[in-house]
Amino acid sequence: MSAEAVIVEGLEVAHGPTQAVRSLSFAARRGELMTLLGPSGCGKTTSLRAIAGLETPSAGRVVLEGRVAFDQAAGIDLAPERRGLSMVFQSYAIWPHMTVFENVAFGLRARRAKRDEIAASVRRGLEAVGLHALADRPATRLSGGQQQRVALARAIACNSSVILLDEPLSNLDAMLRMEMRAEFKALQHRLGFTAIYVTHDQEEALVLADRVLVMRNGLVEQTGRPAEIHDRPRTRFVADFVGVRNVFPCEVKQDGGRFVAILDNGVRLQLRGEPAKVPSCVCFRPISVSLSPRPDAQAMAATLIRATYLGDLMEYELRAGGLTIWARSLARGDLAEGAQVFWSVPPDACFLVTA
Amino acid sequence: MTAGDVLRGSAEKRWTSWSSLRAERWLGAGAGIVVALLVLPPLLAAMTASVGAEFAPLHRPDIVLNTLLLGVTTTMLAVAGGTGLALALVPGVPAKAMLERLIVMPLYLTPLLTAIGWSWLASPRSGLVNLLLRNALGPDFAINVISASGVIVVSTLAVMPLPFLLVSDALAGIDASLVEAARVHGAGPRTVLRRIVLPLLAPAALASALLVFVQAVGLFSVPAVLGMPADFNVATTEIFRLLESYPPRVGEAASWGLLLLAITALLTFGQSLLLGRRSFATISGKGFRPSTKPPRGRRSRATLAWFYVILATVLPLLALLWAASVSFVAGDLRLTRFSTLHFDNVLFAYPKTWIAARNSTLLGVLTATIVCLLGLVVSWIILRTRQAGRGLIDQLSMVPLSVPAMVFALGLLWVYVRLPLPIYGTLSILLIAYVTHYLPFGVRAASAALRQLHPELEEAARIAGATWFGTMRRITLPLLRQTMIASWALLFIMAMQEVSSSILLYSSSSIVLSVAVFDLWENGNPSDVAALGFVQLAASFVVVGLALRARHQPSFS
Repeated sequence: MSAEAVIVEGLEVAHGPTQAVRSLSFAARRGELMTLLGPSGCGKTTSLRAIAGLETPSAGRVVLEGRVAFDQAAGIDLAPERRGLSMVFQSYAIWPHMTVFENVAFGLRARRAKRDEIAASVRRGLEAVGLHALADRPATRLSGGQQQRVALARAIACNSSVILLDEPLSNLDAMLRMEMRAEFKALQHRLGFTAIYVTHDQEEALVLADRVLVMRNGLVEQTGRPAEIHDRPRTRFVADFVGVRNVFPCEVKQDGGRFVAILDNGVRLQLRGEPAKVPSCVCFRPISVSLSPRPDAQAMAATLIRATYLGDLMEYELRAGGLTIWARSLARGDLAEGAQVFWSVPPDACFLVTA
Repeated sequence: MTAGDVLRGSAEKRWTSWSSLRAERWLGAGAGIVVALLVLPPLLAAMTASVGAEFAPLHRPDIVLNTLLLGVTTTMLAVAGGTGLALALVPGVPAKAMLERLIVMPLYLTPLLTAIGWSWLASPRSGLVNLLLRNALGPDFAINVISASGVIVVSTLAVMPLPFLLVSDALAGIDASLVEAARVHGAGPRTVLRRIVLPLLAPAALASALLVFVQAVGLFSVPAVLGMPADFNVATTEIFRLLESYPPRVGEAASWGLLLLAITALLTFGQSLLLGRRSFATISGKGFRPSTKPPRGRRSRATLAWFYVILATVLPLLALLWAASVSFVAGDLRLTRFSTLHFDNVLFAYPKTWIAARNSTLLGVLTATIVCLLGLVVSWIILRTRQAGRGLIDQLSMVPLSVPAMVFALGLLWVYVRLPLPIYGTLSILLIAYVTHYLPFGVRAASAALRQLHPELEEAARIAGATWFGTMRRITLPLLRQTMIASWALLFIMAMQEVSSSILLYSSSSIVLSVAVFDLWENGNPSDVAALGFVQLAASFVVVGLALRARHQPSFS
């Protein structure tokens, strides 16, 4: 058996005249948790549904656990029920006419498991999400969080080696979302299934994933480990999406063995290393900016427009030569709105992206 | 690229999509073929059957005018009345829920019985109302329902529930904030009604107007009972007369069918031009809130609704009951004696009662079941798949809405007399006619129910390993059970009461109750007719009662 649990090659999905997914290719290794991250309409959910067999792609190949599930060229298109997957839906899709037990047992019954095996698997699934006490409760008498857990138990109970998840936490409130996120990560680690996880929440994607695939307009924008995506976005889109608020068009020049990014307003930022491709923007995170009321050797002058209280941190909006620069730091008393401040960014924190 | 390449390319493409083992694709194609086979042959036959025969309407302009008069006036009165009733029954009106149910009662009664009831009430010499009024107002007083205006009024009473239902739905969908915004910006209740509410209801009213018109010009029983004795003939009664004559003048009858078809097709086209792409976009998903403010004039609103209920349902049914249970009808009400004579006659003496009851029940059960299932499959294909041609299936399945039932029956007759299939004169041809005629209802009802069901509930079952059929059986059908049983019951009643196509397609062995009623009306004892009408109503309501009990059994909360 190959090391890849899910292989997607050149997948295209058309919705009428619009191309929802354009040539998507990726492979998820066995036991890997991969997130598809992107704004709404980027094609991530469509891709997931195409892997599940709920959408018919117009081109490409899908291989699940070494078995071809879809191949446009060869005319193969397995029905969803023959792909051996599990899936957690955004709406949870808990069947209201069944009990919790029946919901979780459905997939096992549909696949003609033996009675005692069903009971054991359902118990294992419900125990994994902490709901074994509610097995006989009608599904309509569950809270949102409980429904979410039942959906997860249902996916786990089937023993599928691949579980697809379509924004499973987006309907929960913030506290519960954090809790479920941690639980799911632990569960996936313990049970070792492969997960393809769709989300539009960058924090969720970064916290959960072994690997993140950022999508935009039906195409893959960047793939990488969460730290790579977070610290070194390769394009302006990814940088925006993972919360790098300072993105400025620039020119890169060599200055005595070092590379320097020159912004439109003439500000010069030291870079470390050598630009790889044809970069057009320099970026840095607000947290990387250091502020001071007094000038020093490296710092540049700016006007502090506004200081906003964010709870743990303060956010400062600076204006320098027509550009807005965002900075974040612990609250400090020596910076006044309207006053001149001095800011600097260490070369390590600056990176280049394509537009 | 040559033409051959193009053909080969498309053939290959078709092969790849067909080779995949997806039950729903086969099913989609199958449903499309079934719908096309049901709808197209009779429709094409109805269009071509008159070729070669004389175009009869040319010689009877009076009947053409009568038909148009009936269609136009009934439509205007029924849409105005139905809209009025819908506007009257706002929340806060006393007994609103009961009134809403009573107003739609005529849907469950065949217009044949309403017409017969009214002929008992207001025929010029012996009508009950006339007998009573004459006692009070002098011997010359008479309301005459056996007349053109009688046909129009009774037809209006019979079809009014349709616009009432459609406009009520649209009204319930108007966000209260639209009205409130107008009030805040200075519009009084009348201005709000004229400038906000009525324009928002216009698409629904217009859509119902077309349905009502098709119903009105296709209505056979009311003009047959109240019009023909007064020499007020319309296209449907003329079709019936031509087919009853010996030898049957099928070609001429078909030319009347063609005329009806042309009129309704023209109006359907006109409606689509008028409505264009405008939809009923009154519901604004977020923050939708129906109006809660108590209305003014609650008592008079309720009175208006009761007035309709009494005219359309209570009085005709009481008249039937009275006629069925008096031993004979005398000019002087004091001579009235009650007896079960007429019920004895129709239950034990009249030979057609039991065979007709058996046939009607069988047809009702089969029609309701087939239409519910076919409707579910068709609407599932339309709503849940991206299958090519599903738009066409959708439109095709709606065609019977704009074709009078009698015209379809005429087409069926033409097709199956010529085909070497042993269907003509059997229950099968009636079943085909009923299924085709009520198909749009089944599709609409199932679509409405399916839209309420999140697709992920079905998709989750597929992912979990259930086949398409397994998903339908264990997820979709159980979840739609309540609405499916409700529409099954309504379909059963409508099939039990069908007259217009049955009257052309029945034979002595495939007679149904409504035809037996009409038969008795034409040839027999009018009091027996009332008794048989009651037997028909009782039979339908017993079955529906059973079905609705199944619906109320607790399944899930």
